[in-house]
Amino acid sequence: MSVLLQQLANGVIQGALIALIALGYTMVYGIIQLINFAHGEVFMVASYGGLATFTLLPDDLKKSPAVALPLMFVGGILVAVVVAVIMERFAYRPLRNAPRLAPLITALGVSVFLQEAVRVFYPNAKSNLPYPKVFPEGNLTIGSVNISWTGIMLVVLSVGLAVILQTYINRSRMGRAMRATAQDPDTAKLMGVNPDRVIVLTFIIGAVLAGVAGIMFGGYLNNINIDMGFQNGIFAFTAAVLGGVGSIRGAVIGAFIIGLIKTVAGQYMPGGTQYDYVWIFVVLILVLVFRPQGLFGEPERVRA
Amino acid sequence: MSTVETPVKRSALAPLGKPLAAAGGVLGIVAALLPWVTFTLNDGNWPDKSTLQFFDAPFLVTGFRWHVLVLGVLVLVAAFAPTPSKGRVVRALGWGLALVSFVNTAYITVKGGGLGAVTALDGAVAFGGVVGLVAGVLTILAGYGIGIEPVGEWKVKLSTPLAYLVLLVSFGAVLYAVAAMLTTGGVGSANPYAGAIFLSFLGFAGGLLAALSGIGFVRWISALSEQHRVFSVIVLAACALLLPFTEAGNEYWMTVAANIGIYAATAIGLNIVVGLAGLLDLGYVAFMGIGALVAANFSGAATAYFGFDLPFPVAAVIAAVVAGIFGAIVGSPTLRVRGDYLAIVTLAFGEIFTRSAQNDIGGFTNGSNAIPGIPALSLFGAEFNKSFTIGAVKLPAGVLYYVLIVLLVAATMAVFANLKFSRIGRAWIAIREDEDAARAMGIRTGKMKILAFLIGAMLAGLAGAVFAHKNGTVSYESFKFLESVTLLAAVILGGMGSIPGAVLGAALLFVLPEKLRDFEDYRLMIFGLALILIMRFRPVGLIPDAHRRAEMVERADENAEEAHLEAKKA
Repeated sequence: MSVLLQQLANGVIQGALIALIALGYTMVYGIIQLINFAHGEVFMVASYGGLATFTLLPDDLKKSPAVALPLMFVGGILVAVVVAVIMERFAYRPLRNAPRLAPLITALGVSVFLQEAVRVFYPNAKSNLPYPKVFPEGNLTIGSVNISWTGIMLVVLSVGLAVILQTYINRSRMGRAMRATAQDPDTAKLMGVNPDRVIVLTFIIGAVLAGVAGIMFGGYLNNINIDMGFQNGIFAFTAAVLGGVGSIRGAVIGAFIIGLIKTVAGQYMPGGTQYDYVWIFVVLILVLVFRPQGLFGEPERVRA
Repeated sequence: MSTVETPVKRSALAPLGKPLAAAGGVLGIVAALLPWVTFTLNDGNWPDKSTLQFFDAPFLVTGFRWHVLVLGVLVLVAAFAPTPSKGRVVRALGWGLALVSFVNTAYITVKGGGLGAVTALDGAVAFGGVVGLVAGVLTILAGYGIGIEPVGEWKVKLSTPLAYLVLLVSFGAVLYAVAAMLTTGGVGSANPYAGAIFLSFLGFAGGLLAALSGIGFVRWISALSEQHRVFSVIVLAACALLLPFTEAGNEYWMTVAANIGIYAATAIGLNIVVGLAGLLDLGYVAFMGIGALVAANFSGAATAYFGFDLPFPVAAVIAAVVAGIFGAIVGSPTLRVRGDYLAIVTLAFGEIFTRSAQNDIGGFTNGSNAIPGIPALSLFGAEFNKSFTIGAVKLPAGVLYYVLIVLLVAATMAVFANLKFSRIGRAWIAIREDEDAARAMGIRTGKMKILAFLIGAMLAGLAGAVFAHKNGTVSYESFKFLESVTLLAAVILGGMGSIPGAVLGAALLFVLPEKLRDFEDYRLMIFGLALILIMRFRPVGLIPDAHRRAEMVERADENAEEAHLEAKKA
């Protein structure tokens, strides 16, 4: 029983991480129907950006987490946003009216490019890099279950940001513009919405969330490598699809489901953690076959 | 360079078109006759006596300087002779000039440790590279100045024997180009400048090809070969079989060519799924892996699952069937899942395959130890990996594999072409264009989509079986997500739904890594960038399928029209 509880706790933390990334996928897909494969790499780049920020800090600041950690967040998020904006402007925007496959291939290309660029140009990026110890230390122990404070911070950040995002999209003027563009870009344009601005903003929001996730990932697992983007990106996209692409609530719930499947199946299913990956995809395929629009999505509109 | 900017550029440059072209052409010729390096580099003399102190034969240009000279002369000819769609041709030649000059100059600069290598040393000047670059840029601008008209159309009709002759000559030229492309720069890392020479050659060949395509020659030839399909296929196969007798006829290039062939066959299979039926498959290489694993397990290798070996044809058929069954299973969600969601299902399947194979599922894959020691194929006592003698001609080792693979590719092509022009193929294309309309027209879409997956997977499984014996080892490492992406990129680079396109795409994507060993570290990065650029500037691929081309061109025209209207408004 205590093993199960521990795994559930771990699953929730993993889910919180995946949720932060999944929000970026789901928002971009909701607005321009693009699977932004490179979003996982934005998360990875943010993690390295945070690490670089820390490395560049003067020594006395490195010792005070209260200063170093926020600066790392700023640095990582900044890198993520810059990368996302450049990517949108130069890779995706010219393809706005291209056949559907083209932007998807471009996204794959951007993903490979970013991953390799970090591997080639970041010092020592070929091996795992240790992440600075500026995160809250120690565990919260409830009965026999240990939950690290960093993990709790991750869950709080993830849920908090998701709620803020949901409110922003439902209440603010720009959020309304986003929803309008997602529903019908042409009509939104007629109503005075500038689609370019909406799309850039969507990418920026996604990058900020991925940036937070990138820093927290390093803090939670203590080291980072260049494969983290691809793997977690796939989990996150799976979560977005599971929840119904375009739905914020769906992405978050889907992410928690994925996190739980990963830890629980890794514990109890035959094959152990080596096959945890496989169970996630099995569930994904089953959901898509029996409920193609995902758990919370609307049935796909047939576009002319 | 987007469609919106072009009219502006044209109006500003219009009166300068011809003078610019003249300047570009002349400068190109001058560049070819100038020295390119001021001293001998660390790795030895820059190819073809282009260094200052070795510059003893100004009128005997060879290698890349010969290419520059040819391009320069062609620019002058194209600009002042009556040429169809002149601007397009001049622009293409300009890009060729610029690329050749850029590659060589960049290499000299990098290897020589700075700009000093190309400009001046002790008052001695090597301006070749700079002049070449300027010539290229001027010529490109000249192209825009003259104006980019639509690709020229040739209405010339030929009698059958004459058409055969033209086809024979052009396919012969293709064979020559392929052999030259493989052998430029020599084998592997023997020549320190192999990468540069190859890239430079690619720039030259690309420029020429684009110019030929600009005057409408390429389109004319492909229409001609479509008209005489059987003849072209026979000639093409014969050309492929003649490759071992050219310069490329040594063990190294036979091995590389055979590998390309395996991926080309797989890419054609993928082309059925993606190009014809329009179903995006991101885990396709898994089917090749399944085929390879099945063949490996039936091969009698030490770690194979089954303790006995089956004759290769039987094992290959089993491999294809097993892969096909998996294909049908993976395809079955297509009954309910569409578009991007389907892509994610196939990606999930690919990842499941990799994970399972890595963990030695059921004892079939031997996990990360792979299955080594798969015996080479043999036929009538001739081992496929040994050299081979016919009469007086000794053929290099690996030539039999090459022949087998050429036949495999030819067979896949035949399957593809027959399907494409059959009732099934038309059904697939209809599904690709509009699934609901296709269903309304009485096509059983579910059955057809699963059939596409099944046939595609079978072809991949077959290629995988050959792969297993050819390489002697099967490891899950050869069948990961990146390979799927590379195959997809090959299909798209070549042109979706186009047969020669898939072969060309596979050839480019799998020969480049061989040639660019210098850039081992940057290889994948360049690959990623190339994907982005191709999608940006030539989303239809290098050799677009006629039908596809029609769609894309129409769309491009619409966009241009829109841009024009918007420009008018403003």
